[in-house]
Amino acid sequence: MGVNARVQTLPGQEITVEEQRRFRVEDLLPSRVLRPADAQDAARELRLCDLAPAAVVTWGGGTQMRLGAAPRRYEIAFSTDRMTRLLEYEPADLTCRVEAGMRLRDLQESLLAQGQRLPLEPPHPDRATVGGMLAANANGLGRARYGTVRDWVIGIAVAYPSGKLARAGGKVVKNVAGYDLMKLHIGALGTLGVIAEVNFKVQTRPQVEATLIAHFDTPAPAIDAGTTLARQYLAPAAAVVLDQGALRDCGLTADWRWTLALKLEGYGREVEAARDRATGIIRDAGGRIEEAGVPSAFWDRARDWSAPDDDLVVLRAIVPLAALNAVLAAVPTDSHVMAQPAAGLVDARVAAGSAAATLERLRAAAGDEGQVIVAAAPAGVKKGLDVWGPPPSGFPIMHALKQALDPNGILNPGRFVGGI
Amino acid sequence: MEASDREPLLARLRGVVGDRYAFADPYEMRLYQYDASPETALPDIVVIPGTALEVARVVKICADAKVPITARSAASSLAGGTVPVDGGVVITFARMDRILEIDPDNLRAVVEPGVVNLALSQALKPHGYYYVPDPSSQGACTIGGNVGTNAGGPHTLLYGVTVNHVTGLELALASGELVQVGGCKSAAATGYDLTGLFVGSEGTMGIATKIWVKIQPIPPVQKTLMAVYPDVETASNAVSTIVRNGILPAAIEMMDKLSIQAIEAASHAGYPLDAGAVLLLEVDGIPELVEELGERMAKACRESGASEVRVAKNEAERQALWKGRKGAFSAMGRLSSDFYVMDGVVPRTRLPETLAKIDAISKRTGFKICNVFHAGDGNLHPLVLFDAFKPGQYEAVLRIGDEILKLCADAGGSVTGEHGIGLEKRENIRYVFSDDDLEVMDRIRLVFDPHGLMNPGKVFPGKAHKGSAPATVPGHAPRRAAAVAGGDDVWV
Repeated sequence: MGVNARVQTLPGQEITVEEQRRFRVEDLLPSRVLRPADAQDAARELRLCDLAPAAVVTWGGGTQMRLGAAPRRYEIAFSTDRMTRLLEYEPADLTCRVEAGMRLRDLQESLLAQGQRLPLEPPHPDRATVGGMLAANANGLGRARYGTVRDWVIGIAVAYPSGKLARAGGKVVKNVAGYDLMKLHIGALGTLGVIAEVNFKVQTRPQVEATLIAHFDTPAPAIDAGTTLARQYLAPAAAVVLDQGALRDCGLTADWRWTLALKLEGYGREVEAARDRATGIIRDAGGRIEEAGVPSAFWDRARDWSAPDDDLVVLRAIVPLAALNAVLAAVPTDSHVMAQPAAGLVDARVAAGSAAATLERLRAAAGDEGQVIVAAAPAGVKKGLDVWGPPPSGFPIMHALKQALDPNGILNPGRFVGGI
Repeated sequence: MEASDREPLLARLRGVVGDRYAFADPYEMRLYQYDASPETALPDIVVIPGTALEVARVVKICADAKVPITARSAASSLAGGTVPVDGGVVITFARMDRILEIDPDNLRAVVEPGVVNLALSQALKPHGYYYVPDPSSQGACTIGGNVGTNAGGPHTLLYGVTVNHVTGLELALASGELVQVGGCKSAAATGYDLTGLFVGSEGTMGIATKIWVKIQPIPPVQKTLMAVYPDVETASNAVSTIVRNGILPAAIEMMDKLSIQAIEAASHAGYPLDAGAVLLLEVDGIPELVEELGERMAKACRESGASEVRVAKNEAERQALWKGRKGAFSAMGRLSSDFYVMDGVVPRTRLPETLAKIDAISKRTGFKICNVFHAGDGNLHPLVLFDAFKPGQYEAVLRIGDEILKLCADAGGSVTGEHGIGLEKRENIRYVFSDDDLEVMDRIRLVFDPHGLMNPGKVFPGKAHKGSAPATVPGHAPRRAAAVAGGDDVWV
């Protein structure tokens, strides 16, 4: 069948050149676009894709599209941009139900009006959608204190290639009925279904927020101060260690070499006590407290740093806390780094030319219990990189789960771990 | 199982664990026929493996012989989760009760499935840490069982349930393989979150043989308050008011009038006998904050209709207040020879109307119903009191349970908050999930267990199983209330 004849058989609307560019993944362009109106519609349209069968890439805000290996095939852009409603929100229950295409910022604004929030801050909340945040398991800087996406999702509705819309979990904060399929879809990069609706639990906004900045001559004591704080009561809401370049990216130019930035949140007395304790730990580690404070956009820029819009290579190491310094020492000097010591996480923006060698060095430093993945890279560079690293030990089950839920392999083929 | 099948199987299992740790004596089998639910069924063989490798080999032998496998530790399941309804082999973890590693540097501990929940927190205490999920049965229930049911407890309101605290697992699968999944020491692993998927799967996906858990610094101070209300409606409205006002306590528990009377008779916790309802609230944190929050919470309680607010002045008073709550189920023996407990959940704001409906059911049917529950997260535990020796009462109580779960589901809630679906609620699961929802879950189950051997008859609705469910077997006496039996062996 010729290319045009093939396109005629695909479901969905014809695509404009502009849309093709917008929905491009790596160097692949889609032939059609589908824009379901709601969850049921998404399930019906996904069924049509499965019957073709046509390779589907699900699109939210597109902020994490640089994550994952290049798709093996790509024919249909499946966009949630019409599924943006806040379906239910009961402030007194601290729960809500939203459509997957809702943007994080819009959700947070609705919650803020009631003095509440979802304590997840993935990069670019002005564009990132709820569904994309789940699929990419995109977490912000608060993961050590508030947990990750999996800790705040209490229910989910997913459209499957079979045409079924199936739910799991529910609308209450405590619930063990049935299998916890929320966990299965979070971080699955859309390879098992299209997340259509999400139920969250939310929290009351903290009463007080404060930032504490300290600088160090070398990274290790900054990391050690951060992990010491993480192991204690009154852990900071966010703790990042930045080099000079990353600090500049976050809007602060300084002549010191390494920075530890802490975000403190909670009740007033808690924040005061946390500040006192952090000050002591930083001084013991040889750090100097910087009294000048930070620009207002500092935390927003720090949040977005790991998901740059430009064609940068970002490597992410997730390691036991005790292995952080070894990983940091393995980062080449021409890179820029931002670490979250309390979460055992290091993000490095590395030179494209030496990315493969750096990836190998970081994997060696991370050890058996650590992971290093390519969080973002332009298509040309990514071709030479092992994006996910070796498949984990439970991989045969993962492969079988993929077979069970997407037997024709239409969902994001090739993007995920082990070629799933 | 016929003796001709059982004997060769027993011999093979003994080849793995030794003669002493695999047995099939009918008398001993009776000890393994029950858990804390009213259901019973006899296993054919019981195996007590000593290592993960032995578990995997036992599973492999059973799977090859197409014999059902049911994992069981403390057997404190209130939902029949460990009753071997299809017979077969029960694997129990009495010998796999070691804490393998305590690693404060990485905020982790590694345990075998048979470690008692409380024993882990006690072992962590000298290091300044604890394991958060605290089911009321924590003195007996095991971490392996907690993983199976995704167990909760009073303090999960603020800090989350089991799945929020488990980062990695070693699993013995129906295929006979032993695989490690999840993040173990680090924050995440690549691939699907099989750890999260497995927690709460009630033994239907495999058996956890090693568990990596997060540990957390012990809060410096805890403050416990008791607030006395004229009735449950005022008390449940107060719960929403307190939470809505920006204080999320570590725990909010409620006891109604009937429960208070039972508890006072049993443990003299100091709850006022004339109260319509009592709330037990706890905040934790640094001393100066806890002081402030305690005062704010006391004020919120008074403003929401509490006639009296009592603050535990010291640890002894605090323990007394909690002892009453945690011993509530065993205290029911003071009121009735038998009880049947449910585990419904409703959104916090629907508590008043739900409790009113439960009260109406009680009045209509003539059965007394006590309410002792986790009010902060809307997790109800209605206890229907009855006498199993009166014909027809147990059947009537099951119908009441069914009605209560239905009304929880209709209020936007769930049929189980922490006990699990087990055997008991496998038909009730239809109140919250459609056929399509269940079909997807079943497809996932088949990935792990294509021949339906792992804890069969649980979680999913479906074919009738063997075993002696009391509703169908004449003459069966359901579990007697614990205080009558003379021990603290039932909790919630």
